[in-house]
Amino acid sequence: MGFENINSVLVADIGSVQTRLVLIDLVEGQYRLVSSSRARTTVEPPLANVSLGLEHAAQAMTERIGRQLLSPEPDQVFMIPEAGGHGVDEFLATSSAGRPMKVFLVGLTPEISLLSGKRVLAGSYVTVTNTLSPDDRRTEEEQINAILQDDPDLILIVGGTDDGADDILLELVRIVRTALSLVMHGMVPSVLFAGNQALRKQVRNLLAPLTSVFFAKNVRPSLEDEQLFPAQIELALVYDDYRSRSTGGFSEVGRQSQVGVVPTTQGYISAIRYLGELPQKGVGPLYVDVGSANSVVVAGVHKEPHYNIRTDLGVGHHIVQTMETITLDKLRRWLPFEIDDEALWDYAHNKQLHPATVPGTPEDLMIEQALAREIVRLVVDEARPAWGLGEGDLLPDFRPVVGAGAILTETQHPGMAAMLLLDALQPTGITDLYLDPHNLLSALGVIAYLKPLITVQALDAGGLVNLGPAFSPLGRVRYGRDAIKVRIQHPNGQVFNHVVKGGEIWMAPVLPGVTADVRIRLRRGLSINGKQRLRMKLTAGAAGFIFDARGRPLAMPRQKDRAERFQQWLLAMTGRDAGPSVAGAGTVTEDAGVMDDDLELELPADMEEETAHALLS
Amino acid sequence: MPYYPEVATIQGLVRVIRERRLPSEAVPRPTHTISNAPVEAMQVILEGDVYREFRIIDVGAALKARRKENVADMIEVDAGQQVQFGHELARRGRGRRARVLHSPADGLIVLAEDRRIILQVSERAIEIQAKIPGQVQEVEPHLVRIAGSGALIQCAWGNGGFCYEAFRFLPEEGFVKLSKLDVSISEYRQMVIISPYPINKGDLLVAQQQEVAGVVAPSMSSDLREFAMGLKFPVILTEGFGQRRPTTLIYTLLQSNMGRQAAFNAAAPDRWSWERPEIMIPLPTGGSTPPTPALDQALQVGAQVRMTRAPWDGLTGEVVELPPAPQVIESGLRLPCARVQLADGQARLIPLANIEVVG
Repeated sequence: MGFENINSVLVADIGSVQTRLVLIDLVEGQYRLVSSSRARTTVEPPLANVSLGLEHAAQAMTERIGRQLLSPEPDQVFMIPEAGGHGVDEFLATSSAGRPMKVFLVGLTPEISLLSGKRVLAGSYVTVTNTLSPDDRRTEEEQINAILQDDPDLILIVGGTDDGADDILLELVRIVRTALSLVMHGMVPSVLFAGNQALRKQVRNLLAPLTSVFFAKNVRPSLEDEQLFPAQIELALVYDDYRSRSTGGFSEVGRQSQVGVVPTTQGYISAIRYLGELPQKGVGPLYVDVGSANSVVVAGVHKEPHYNIRTDLGVGHHIVQTMETITLDKLRRWLPFEIDDEALWDYAHNKQLHPATVPGTPEDLMIEQALAREIVRLVVDEARPAWGLGEGDLLPDFRPVVGAGAILTETQHPGMAAMLLLDALQPTGITDLYLDPHNLLSALGVIAYLKPLITVQALDAGGLVNLGPAFSPLGRVRYGRDAIKVRIQHPNGQVFNHVVKGGEIWMAPVLPGVTADVRIRLRRGLSINGKQRLRMKLTAGAAGFIFDARGRPLAMPRQKDRAERFQQWLLAMTGRDAGPSVAGAGTVTEDAGVMDDDLELELPADMEEETAHALLS
Repeated sequence: MPYYPEVATIQGLVRVIRERRLPSEAVPRPTHTISNAPVEAMQVILEGDVYREFRIIDVGAALKARRKENVADMIEVDAGQQVQFGHELARRGRGRRARVLHSPADGLIVLAEDRRIILQVSERAIEIQAKIPGQVQEVEPHLVRIAGSGALIQCAWGNGGFCYEAFRFLPEEGFVKLSKLDVSISEYRQMVIISPYPINKGDLLVAQQQEVAGVVAPSMSSDLREFAMGLKFPVILTEGFGQRRPTTLIYTLLQSNMGRQAAFNAAAPDRWSWERPEIMIPLPTGGSTPPTPALDQALQVGAQVRMTRAPWDGLTGEVVELPPAPQVIESGLRLPCARVQLADGQARLIPLANIEVVG
């Protein structure tokens, strides 16, 4: 069936721990997320077949919505196309599970082509085993050993401008050819050529007799230009080819999908590219996904997607490596209780033995949430140079900010999820926070390649969980001093007044979906978008409205105050604090927090747009 | 809604089918293992060689051949040929004045043409043991499948060792008592020691000094992993790291089979490996074929399960209810759960993700 004629799409995201399914269907003329389900991923032995987990997730969805999805035909997983209210018109799959692809990188210059090659690879689940360039001083024997010693799955060759010098690059291709000709057992690595386009024919003649050769447009058509997208798309095909040749049953899943099994991150990148094109405030969207084995950040900076994957950071399969990377001292900054090194390491090793398990005690949950904060901080720090930021620079005005991965999306309370994002990212200004519990963005990103209308409509229909807007003033705060005076007026006239003190975070208890008039006044030294007074109409999310008066940069409590302060934050963001007084319209109950009725509020110049955006969200 | 949990087999009598594989990078040697033949646990059933580094040998230069000479004619080996260190690779001339090129290492000739030979050096030979006694079901160049019967206990961690020996429990006074025994007459020598308590480095040192065949314990500090990996005998942890409570079911099963020989496979953790640490105690079946543990079955009321995370880790119980909606657990998370009746009669809400079926 042509993609233009489809009504329903089933998209699977096969993660290291969870296999998630989302069903998007046409409802009253609009594409919507109709259902989602999940099951344990079955990529590892003893099952080693991802189809089983996929079938379990499909069974769960069928049980929920009464729609048969699995095909009775032995050679087909799903009923395609849809008929009589059962089956679906199209099935697509993304995956971050399985062994990362090992890549050997060949290029002409470390500063230019190899760097571009690394940027191409940064969007996929790969490990770079080694590199080769003309200034390599190793002997031919050493170079061949370097190429083959780690059994790469792919050799990526980049370099040369189109129609530029070709002899040196061809010499490197010949070394690769010699190496490939020596592989007598195991799999011969595939080759992706994304260099000087004038050499395509010679490269094909040299390498195609030995292995599968993929071609993409030159990543550096000229010294000034860098084009990564075509190579990334081709890399996604190589990834699918690699997955289908690996154990785990990916080939069967890939056969059901028109585009094979796409790396989950490619879906994110496509979705962020799409979101970045929408009219909105700020520099663009930011997506952070903390998984069990991988962690990803994708940012749309002025309509250009930037991304960073760490295949060694996660809160499950790679928790031990993660703790080694971020160090225990950094982890402890987020722990309100004492725990010795040995206990933390034991915890990590036990979790690695059972990566799919979830924290059963509050302490365990705090450890994993602390890890999630530090993982996001680390991955974002690494991405900063690409965003044009230096060390210590505050986060740019990303909108929206979306969190994914069970550790971020499955918390005690939506407020806790919001606080995790705020702690890890430390945004300033007004940030629209969302969660993507179903990895919907990855699915919609893949669909965007085929039928963008589905992506547009499914996003508009609210496929993400809106946590609400968070106000994070810029500037240092003094603990316990008034920092933000807040006045919230409900549509029914009910008014909240509250003063958020320095060092506090407060979740205003407004029901999700309620649009309220919000006025805030900041103490001297604090500002939001350069202003100290703001008034706007905003729609509350699952965490109401959030006011973070802990300062930017975030002022972490001293060790002796840590337990008490964390307890306050936790209570505030899980909705179990006393909260503000609720008063009838026009009455004021907290003197300190009175916002003068006749107060002249400075409105930001872009107030109308802000309000419109908030209402839309 | 069906949920398919992980399975850990802790059973008194099951049919155990295991595949033993050569690593994918190994080149298999001809095997003497044949289908339907009985095998012992310690028996080598697969052999292979792993080749790594390439050596490019300039034959012309080594034999000081003139440029006009046809060096290819001097080469005496072919691609695909295995050679030993010192094997004659090429020769120029005859008699006492002949120049001979010998192989610098054991390896595999991968290229022999023009003026050069490329030798892939043998890194190591690999021998794969059956690791359970039983009968061979299938033989392929890289794989042998074996079936046996007995008690099976799947564990959490192993140090990479293996042995097939009899086992007995640690004396009540623990490793302290063991350390005072005369090794030459100790009844624990060459036995696998079962400790129902977490162990420490001192305990492992005593075990080493007492020349035991292996150690099984609920847990130890994760700091000891490297040390344990360096020991020559298998160390198996049934629960994990830190101070973990033992799964009563496991230790009761071991107690009831004390004195028997068993296969202690302390397979090191590797998420992509088909081996996991386990203890298999071969038992007679009386002519019948016991059931094979099911690996992929939906969790149901009545299932026997083990908890894998605090606060109930190591406890076993029976699923008495599968609430249709997610439940709030002690950590504050709201998750799909099962209500599990523990040995003390109390029913607890356990997240499905923290349950494994005792298959």
